[in-house]
Amino acid sequence: MTALWTFLSRTQGRNRLTWVDWVSYGYLAFGFLLIFLPVCWIVLNSLKTPSQLEQQDISLLPGEYRQVARATVYGPDGRSIFIIENLPDWVLNWRTMNEEDRADQDVEGLLNGFRGDSHYALRSALGQVPLKARSLISERRLPQWLLRYPALSASAKAEFDAAGAIAGLAEEEQRLLAEFLGLDPYQANKLISQVLVSAIHPETGERTAFAVPRFDPSKPTLPARLVDNSSDRVFKIETATAHAERRIQPAFSNFIEPLAGRARAVTVNFTRCFTNSLLVTVIATIITLAINSMAAFALSKYRFRGQTFFFVFILATLMVPPTITLVGVFKAIHATGLSGSIWGVIIPGAATPAGVFLLRQYMLTIPDELLEAARMDAASEWKIYWRIMLPLALPALAALGILSIVWRWNDLILPMVAIATTKDAYTIQLCLLEFRGEHLSREHFRLAMTVFSLIPTTLVFVFLQKYITTGIANTGLK
Amino acid sequence: MADLILENLRKSFGSEEVIHGIDMSVSSGEFCVFVGPSGCGKSTLLRMIAGLEDITGGEVRIDGKTVNHIPAAQRGLAMVFQSYALYPHMSVRQNMSFGLENLRMTRPEIAGRVDEAARMLQIEALLERKPGQLSGGQRQRVAIGRAVVREPTIFLFDEPLSNLDAELRVTMRAEIADLHSRLGNTMIYVTHDQVEAMTMADKIAVLRDGIMEQFGAPLELFNLPQNRFVAGFIGSPSMNFLAGEVRAGQVALKNGAMLPLDGRFMVSEGQTIELGIRAGDLTLGSGQGVDVEISSVEQLGAESYLYCRSTLGEQITLHESGQTRARRGEKVSLRIDPDSMHLFDLQSGRSCRTG
Repeated sequence: MTALWTFLSRTQGRNRLTWVDWVSYGYLAFGFLLIFLPVCWIVLNSLKTPSQLEQQDISLLPGEYRQVARATVYGPDGRSIFIIENLPDWVLNWRTMNEEDRADQDVEGLLNGFRGDSHYALRSALGQVPLKARSLISERRLPQWLLRYPALSASAKAEFDAAGAIAGLAEEEQRLLAEFLGLDPYQANKLISQVLVSAIHPETGERTAFAVPRFDPSKPTLPARLVDNSSDRVFKIETATAHAERRIQPAFSNFIEPLAGRARAVTVNFTRCFTNSLLVTVIATIITLAINSMAAFALSKYRFRGQTFFFVFILATLMVPPTITLVGVFKAIHATGLSGSIWGVIIPGAATPAGVFLLRQYMLTIPDELLEAARMDAASEWKIYWRIMLPLALPALAALGILSIVWRWNDLILPMVAIATTKDAYTIQLCLLEFRGEHLSREHFRLAMTVFSLIPTTLVFVFLQKYITTGIANTGLK
Repeated sequence: MADLILENLRKSFGSEEVIHGIDMSVSSGEFCVFVGPSGCGKSTLLRMIAGLEDITGGEVRIDGKTVNHIPAAQRGLAMVFQSYALYPHMSVRQNMSFGLENLRMTRPEIAGRVDEAARMLQIEALLERKPGQLSGGQRQRVAIGRAVVREPTIFLFDEPLSNLDAELRVTMRAEIADLHSRLGNTMIYVTHDQVEAMTMADKIAVLRDGIMEQFGAPLELFNLPQNRFVAGFIGSPSMNFLAGEVRAGQVALKNGAMLPLDGRFMVSEGQTIELGIRAGDLTLGSGQGVDVEISSVEQLGAESYLYCRSTLGEQITLHESGQTRARRGEKVSLRIDPDSMHLFDLQSGRSCRTG
């Protein structure tokens, strides 16, 4: 820490800061923020709750506004819209909760606490209508076609007399089945969360509690309903006077659930993908370093016929865009039976022309005399490679290692080609893709897992860059 | 310990021949120095002996065994490189042990040998350091130590002192000579510095353009150079050369001086020759001399050098022991001692000496 401060508080010669110091520190700070702010932003975003993300809340901190529920209930008197206050959080988050968490909640107890339209709204919102309707149908021995009725087409519905079938029941039971069957005038009741704001009432001029769909500070006015339900009207309140209370509450469940394999509506196992990626990256990098360094050693330190040809040939493959060879790679992976296993990702990417080039150029700078000295010391060629060449090429190996790790870890195309058919072999990038389903977006998991997937590459860089510096400092040759 | 024989050794890089057939025999325990100007092929020759360069033609024999096709690792030689070529990532101890590990020697034996060599070279305190933390002289010792622990049959030195400063070079020179007398191994030493060659060698091979000009003991080369090149290369300051011809049984120099000839030289009447005379064999004086003007004077206290120019513009250096009274710009006459003169044929450069 002291070392860091000494480094950062350095001045150019004199004790005072000169303008060069100012410019340097300014540039340093600018560069730091340029890199660091987006990272902070994505980390903070990954901690936002699904509903905050859905509302496209661009605030930096994860946390939600105090919320109330807006209920839309259809009844014999038509549609009524009202606000329900002071509901527990789990009611508003019901849609995004997994089965286990839902089972933990006392749904029945909550419903018993409400009467009338509020009760109906909550009953629909918590998915109790089909459950209760089914048990009622079997209890009262009502015709079985009633169970299928909601899913029927309009013309098929006409063949049944649904209203007649439930006519003999008590009023409450009739209403339940009518909601279940979608009989006129009943439709599915809705319960959506709204932001609780306190604002100046446009008519009375008093500070009053309102519910707004979205708290968007960029709009001059917000459409709002009174929380106390004293009026059905939608008021236009001044955004400037509105004040919404926010609770800072990071949603660590975004991380915990997929890592523990409890994420709802996610069909891939994240920890498995993570392990796969780790294996692919480590094995492929080791193979890459081994193959590339041997090729580079031969190309830089031996004289043989066709040396230039091979070197140019290897370099020429750099100029072929990987997308062009994609079909060929796929066929090769398929033909060799590697498809669907992580080896299908490891082996095709093992030898990289860029790596051979990088290592060769570095090895050219290692003096031949060292190799000759080793030969005079009765070392075999293998030993020269292993004991002399590799340790001395460590800085270049570290650089290539970092590159290779980042390439493998972030690679999407090759895994898609090689292992997209086998979910067990998915790498992390395929897994992240899976979180964005066709029908159901799991954006909060995706953000969280993206952040999580950044950790290994970051750690690798932190540790290997140390190797680079020591590697360079080690070059004690003259 | 082993003797080394080179027989008509040749080396070509592509179509260009750089070593034109060298014959040489170094007997066991001798200190042999290859000397010559840069680019003469002396390092190439050493590397061919070491096995680091392919041999295009001829033979290298160590202890009577032809080693042309034996790789460097198996020839049992040790080499000290000009840049020392210490492995920068290994400590001094590891540097010295590396070769022994490759020979599958046991750990205690390796440690014993390394410690012994370190004691001999006074680098015990440096054993755990990396080469990067050593000074030039210390690296030099480590490089020698690495060769010593191998107990090789022949030591090869490739200009080992050229990266050291002048003072250290003199010390190390003495140490290497001392090492040779203690170990008694055959040593081959390459240098471009004829002083090093003269002070250390049992035998010197003077090379030029891939040809061995002369091979013999230092004083033999100094006293009886076989050609003008060797005469000019060996000895400091260089030998003075004056053009002339043989006329009436005498040497008539172009600048007018006449010198008597005796039976040591085989020359014919009218032959154009060059007379070689070392700086120390000239004396200031009158008569029978060469008229020169002193262009500069170097007073070193115990000895003096006078740099003179003859009327024909030839550069002549004169050595006087003690301090001189001669001044710059003075016109003097130099006396040549006929007993000390060398004669070379102007065309071929060969010595005119008989036998």
